[in-house]
Amino acid sequence: MFLNSWSVALSLLSLVVLILSAIAARTAISVLRYWDPASDSNRQIRLENETWLSSTLVQYAMGFQVLSLILFVLAADNFSKVISGAMCATGSLTANQYGMFVLFVKMLGAFCCGFWIVLHFLDISSERYPLLKTKYVALMCLLPLLLVDIVCQTLYIANLKPDIITSCCAVVFGEGGGNDGNLLGSMPQGLLLEVFYGTALLLAILGHFLYRRLNRLLLWLNGLVWLAFIGVSFVAITTVFSSYVYAMPYHHCPFCILKPEYHYIGFAIYGTMLPAGFFGLAAALVGVIPARYGLAEVVRRFQKKAVLWSSILLTLFVIVVSYHYVLYRFVGGEGS
Amino acid sequence: MSFEKQLNIIDYSLSSIWRRRVKSMGVMVVFAAVIFLLASFQMTTKALTNVARDTLVSAPEITVQKMRAGRQESIPVAYQTELVSIRGIKTITPRIWGYYFHETKGANLTILGLDPQSMPFGQDLGQAIDSGRLPNEHEAVLGQGAYAYLSSPGSAMFSLFRPDLTLKALTVSGTFKASTDLLTYDTLFMSLADAQDLFLMPEGMVTDLCVTVANPTEVPTISKKIAALLPDTRVVTRQQIQKTYQAVFGWRSGFASICLLTALASFIIFAWDKASGLTPEEKKEISILKIIGWQTSDVLALRFWEGLIVSTVSFLVGYTLAYVHVAFFEAGLFRPILIGWSVLHPALRLLPTIDLGETLLVLCLTVVPYLAATVIPAWRSAIIPADSALN
Repeated sequence: MFLNSWSVALSLLSLVVLILSAIAARTAISVLRYWDPASDSNRQIRLENETWLSSTLVQYAMGFQVLSLILFVLAADNFSKVISGAMCATGSLTANQYGMFVLFVKMLGAFCCGFWIVLHFLDISSERYPLLKTKYVALMCLLPLLLVDIVCQTLYIANLKPDIITSCCAVVFGEGGGNDGNLLGSMPQGLLLEVFYGTALLLAILGHFLYRRLNRLLLWLNGLVWLAFIGVSFVAITTVFSSYVYAMPYHHCPFCILKPEYHYIGFAIYGTMLPAGFFGLAAALVGVIPARYGLAEVVRRFQKKAVLWSSILLTLFVIVVSYHYVLYRFVGGEGS
Repeated sequence: MSFEKQLNIIDYSLSSIWRRRVKSMGVMVVFAAVIFLLASFQMTTKALTNVARDTLVSAPEITVQKMRAGRQESIPVAYQTELVSIRGIKTITPRIWGYYFHETKGANLTILGLDPQSMPFGQDLGQAIDSGRLPNEHEAVLGQGAYAYLSSPGSAMFSLFRPDLTLKALTVSGTFKASTDLLTYDTLFMSLADAQDLFLMPEGMVTDLCVTVANPTEVPTISKKIAALLPDTRVVTRQQIQKTYQAVFGWRSGFASICLLTALASFIIFAWDKASGLTPEEKKEISILKIIGWQTSDVLALRFWEGLIVSTVSFLVGYTLAYVHVAFFEAGLFRPILIGWSVLHPALRLLPTIDLGETLLVLCLTVVPYLAATVIPAWRSAIIPADSALN
């Protein structure tokens, strides 16, 4: 189903991301082969200039990757209007086997681009660019992911079959792969909420201690808990919180909360949760940078900032996501 | 980088856009035009889809039409006796739905003939009638537009030609409310027998059978059963009509966006060219900035803000113009492409809606390629060495 503005925009966006990253990767190859900080040859000066280009390109690509993630979910919602059996994004994403996978790859891509930018900023804070080679190896690893993204996205769009009235005898009784059921089966609500709020509280406590005194082990623990929390949050949003937003007990959809009918509350929910998780994970990951690179102070400062930001965003996330639920519990009804 | 530093860079980029206003304006005008074209298409599609959706709300869940040689033809009313056995069907209403071309006025009128008593909400039709009552024998209820065409002062009678050019006289029994214009503007509503007589249809034949279903989740199953019982018919569900409209509008706007990609591509080349052609003054400016302490990253930030400001202004201008074009000029430029190729279509007021998704879509189709195209020229200008001004 390529003849649709959303498909055209998605393909264009992924192509732009891929081209920008490919140009950046070309620089990466030359840097990995010829980089010599001691030299003052023309080639070295040219390479130093090119590292600016490649980092700018990856930053643009990162911005576009985030945009493409949002556009993909909105497009899936739009596709649901033409796919048999689908009523919202859940239906069109499950219409063929690629949908959910592309969503996952896009999210992973956005996170990886983000980590790369963190690495870049740590690197340029030192005049010796100690992380330069690491950074470019990471960039080369990122490229296949973006390639998988565009290939699977193309396959996803190509395999979407719109449901239209044919001029032949009868209705197309396409049962359709798409379903309007829920992504996850029913879960014990009480237990899930306890786990969700318990993990959030644990993260807040960890954040508090880490902000006062950084500790390597605690940072790793914090990162792992964050990873688990992202998963728990997705499940909790899908099975518990979303139905309170819709005020419909049987509608569990993690995508419809992004729609204008619900005042775009989904953007506030995911816009706080995903960056919070990103900072939580990044704080732990930068810990692996060896001390011999002389970045200890910069890394420490970044970790503190990241812990602070993840705690602030966590608080906002918990407030926004609990809003409808708490309102329902105390006030009753839709409460809007 | 601190917030204040970025503010200062934005300040500088604004002044730099103003200093090169002729060049910047050129880019902005072309960019706004490209955005205008894409946004107009998108908004028209969305508005038409909304109109179709609103119109179909009152359509029957299932419509049964008879097919012969791949074309639709009249269906015998007797077919409904076969359907009575299917559980879950609430009502079956024979309907005559056709068009009457009024030669002297040059207008196409919609004729709707059915028995109000046999419809589930038949009596509710009365609520849509402004004055008068539901039609009896030789009477018709007219939409506002049809009334303006057909009524003559001092008389409630009007005549229409049958296919054999004999005249059929009808009396106006009422008019539809103006608030239902979207659905009834060109409509003549009369009894089934009158419509049959007007089109000289054989006794016991209608254009289609409208089936209403008690439980909406049973619609697919019931349609399947109807198709099995009456193999020579086409069974169309409301949801399918809706999805087909959506798909057709989607195709057309997708096709249009692919065509407009060529316009976008030429604009990108133009923007690339404008951004790469550095004048000696610009080179001098960069090297002076470098001498007074700007870093390569600062110049890159400067170029980024310039690009963003140019795109934002162009986007706002283009999008606003598109809104005006669709809302006040009814998308005059593209309506024929999107609606169809028929010469006559009912007056239709398009109401563009602005939602985040559509805006983001147009943004991704236009601003993203522009920013991507200007990043390499921006880098070229940022790496100009500080000493080049001295050479």
